[in-house]
Amino acid sequence: MIPFKERMRDFDKTLFLVTIAIFAVGLVFLLSATSIRGQDLNFSYVSKQISSAVLALILLVVIININYQRFLDAAWVLYALSVLALALLLVIGRARFGAQRWFAIGSFTIQPSEFLKIAFVLTLSAYISGKKWMMENAKNLVIPFLVCAVPFLLVILQPDLGTGLLLVPALLAMLYVGGANAKHLLTVTACGILFSPVFWQFLKDYQRQRLLVFMNPSIDPLGAGYTIIQSKIAVGSGGLFGKGWLAGTQNQLNFLPERHTDFIFSVVGEEWGFFGSAILLVLYFILIKRIFRIARLTSDLSGKLIATGIGTLFAFQVIINIGMTIGLMPVVGIPLILVSYGGSSLVATSIAVALVLNVGMRRSTF
Amino acid sequence: MREESLIFLISVLFVLLLLGLIYTQVLNYKIYYAQSQNNFIRIVPIDGPRGKIIDRNGHVLVSNRLSLDASCIYQEIGRKDRFINALEEMLQVSSKDIIGSLGRARERPFAPVAVVEDIDKDKAIAIEEREQDLSGLVIEPRSKRHYIYDDAASHVFGYLGEVNEKELEGLKEYGYRMRDLVGRSGLERYYNSYLMGMDGGEQVEVDALGRRFNVLGVKEPVPGKDLQLTIDLRLQLIVDRLLGDKKGAALVMDPRNGEILAMASHPSFDPNAFVKPNCGPERMRLLKGRGKPLLNRAISGLYAPGSVFKIVIAASALETKRISSHTRFNCAGSYSLGNATFGCWKEEGHGSQDIIEAIKNSCNVFFYQAGRAAGVDNIEAYAIRLGFGKPTGIDLPEEASGLVPGRLWKMITKKSAWYEGETLNYSIGQGYLLVTPIQVLRMTSAIANGGKLVRPYIVKRIGSVETGGARLQDTGLSADVINVIKEGMFRVVNDPFGTGKHARVDGLLIGGKTGTAQNPQGRSHAWFTGFAPWKDPKMAVVVLIEHGGKGGMDPAAIARDIFKSAKEMGYL
Repeated sequence: MIPFKERMRDFDKTLFLVTIAIFAVGLVFLLSATSIRGQDLNFSYVSKQISSAVLALILLVVIININYQRFLDAAWVLYALSVLALALLLVIGRARFGAQRWFAIGSFTIQPSEFLKIAFVLTLSAYISGKKWMMENAKNLVIPFLVCAVPFLLVILQPDLGTGLLLVPALLAMLYVGGANAKHLLTVTACGILFSPVFWQFLKDYQRQRLLVFMNPSIDPLGAGYTIIQSKIAVGSGGLFGKGWLAGTQNQLNFLPERHTDFIFSVVGEEWGFFGSAILLVLYFILIKRIFRIARLTSDLSGKLIATGIGTLFAFQVIINIGMTIGLMPVVGIPLILVSYGGSSLVATSIAVALVLNVGMRRSTF
Repeated sequence: MREESLIFLISVLFVLLLLGLIYTQVLNYKIYYAQSQNNFIRIVPIDGPRGKIIDRNGHVLVSNRLSLDASCIYQEIGRKDRFINALEEMLQVSSKDIIGSLGRARERPFAPVAVVEDIDKDKAIAIEEREQDLSGLVIEPRSKRHYIYDDAASHVFGYLGEVNEKELEGLKEYGYRMRDLVGRSGLERYYNSYLMGMDGGEQVEVDALGRRFNVLGVKEPVPGKDLQLTIDLRLQLIVDRLLGDKKGAALVMDPRNGEILAMASHPSFDPNAFVKPNCGPERMRLLKGRGKPLLNRAISGLYAPGSVFKIVIAASALETKRISSHTRFNCAGSYSLGNATFGCWKEEGHGSQDIIEAIKNSCNVFFYQAGRAAGVDNIEAYAIRLGFGKPTGIDLPEEASGLVPGRLWKMITKKSAWYEGETLNYSIGQGYLLVTPIQVLRMTSAIANGGKLVRPYIVKRIGSVETGGARLQDTGLSADVINVIKEGMFRVVNDPFGTGKHARVDGLLIGGKTGTAQNPQGRSHAWFTGFAPWKDPKMAVVVLIEHGGKGGMDPAAIARDIFKSAKEMGYL
């Protein structure tokens, strides 16, 4: 055990503070997104989110005090548990919005796919670091791809296209940093794209519709295209400085569907304009930069891979989420980390940040 | 370092995202801002109610009632099948009709389109309560025209129809919108611009479901102006009842000023059929209809006047001094001109008569000679002086002019000279001559009021403004001539052998003239025209019954009942 004081020396305060800052901004907009114009502010979502945050913070404190190697040791078990949970969801999951993504325990709901992402990163880190610098060998790519493929298919069947698609860049990034041959990775990616028509067959109608609408929202302006159109209007009408907090007409008059979850960025864009959007984007960029800084500074490959995996997941989650609010990305239904309403996402994000902080705090040990 | 290239790739993606935000929020701001405004600000029109129509005593004849329409906003309908089923069950309408309406609604997905019009209040409440199942369905209150006395005076009021696209062009500047109603006949048409209200509107904020949220501004609708008529509802109802299911027209007018007290044309129609839903077949029947129920026979029906025209002959012959009040002609039952024989209606003849007796007897042979004495040109001139051959100018649309023939007219239209035999036919109101009941009434009034041609009118007051009332025009008939004709008309009714003796009313002196107009379509048209009190006329009446036989029978009896009722009401 390294003494506490020494460990705190490498605690990345910036990363921690940026996380808190993004969360705080998120709360402000969650309040706006869940309140209705002309009525009293609605604090019920905000207070629920804060109680999730308390749990998240406790977990963060616990996790940074356990050496991340312990988590790597347990990686396969965690991975197996999450895959099992996903499989179970398919059987007994509760249907909501046509998607089965939750376990309901009392009034709480748990979304296993959020936790799967972490188990996935840990498992790959453990495997790749175990094959230390032998990833050039294409044979060693098989297991990582299987590790990705099993949950990938399970979440797609949920159906949760977004989470499934997020796993792919994380897999590629970790393999790349782990020393895999770039040519191999490119070949596999190219094959994946070539086989996408096959993949298309597995999609549900509404998912296909969403992808088609992404190409051209006007084909169904009141159906699948509605969300994209209304979201673009919201963000675009914000202009430079926005319509002001609680004054977004798209948001407050209910034109934006799912505005407190997946489309919360539209509220930011409408009410705070380009100015506010850019600030939030910069905060995310700092967050991701700090995570990759830890990856770079950590000599331990497994720690480096954890940071890389989580950094990539975060980066793509932000890019896809914000991209879909302005029509640059298809609507795939993933939350904006730390900002969207949802306990599972918040807790999982917090665990992920804790793991990265954990790696950062112990990087000099090795 | 591989992490470096990874973070570089991510940085590039973040920059692209930032560029996307600039493109959306800075460069295209105006477009999206306008769209966001359009999203939530709507103009909800408020109907400006049409003006009411009231009778001379203030009884409401035509007003507006609240009708509740079940309309749908297509965009907001959830599941179509459930929507249709729920509506079918609640309103007992066929799914076929609902699907048809939905088809129309689809063309305007954001605007409410009536699916079922004019539903019961109870059903409307039930629908409002089931808002959850029936999302997209709204209850729209609309002001509907209501003709309180159904088919009474229907031709006076006319009917409404939805404005068509061509008319809309012209009416747009008056605030007309699609589906607004415009007068198609009668007062509704003649006074449309006064009756129509100016629609107001509410500028409201709506949420994504189109539910109103906040009213930003209101422009109050301006109701249309009320019309007060010269019609007396009580008399009108009596006239309508007397005419019953006979085809024809009856008119009551004040001869002193032209105020129409009652106007009936039968067959009549119920103007409500044009504003009520589900009256499509009834409307088709009326519009195409046999018996022309929409034709206002009182002002647009053209008939040969028959013997009532003898008043014109008498006036022209006397006034031009071709005969005097002492001139006597003999009637032997027929009159010969060249090879042709022209009969009197009484085969055994009337013997020697002066003009007063001839009017009483309605003797054709006397009037053949009087007409010949006057000559076709004078007959034509006096017919026109007494208001024939041109519209009376009543404030109703589609008034007919009628036809007053003459030498010139015949030369132009028939390319032939006038024959003397035609003058004989002219003299008994037959031949080419065509008149409307209101023209006959106007002529009668001119005799009754001492020689003044009045302009008949129906609207006394528009809003609070008097329309200006009587307009009199001198016919140039001398008092002597008028007194002779009046004397003859007195005898028609009051002589024991007068042709109009059925029009007699105890305690009231009536002057009148009957007419039996032969026509190629069948049985003769029957006329009675008269006025009372004889000494100081306050009321003139004309009754025409198509194919009604002798004017001295039904029409005289109807006129009698009208005079009698008017006397009971205190008019006479």
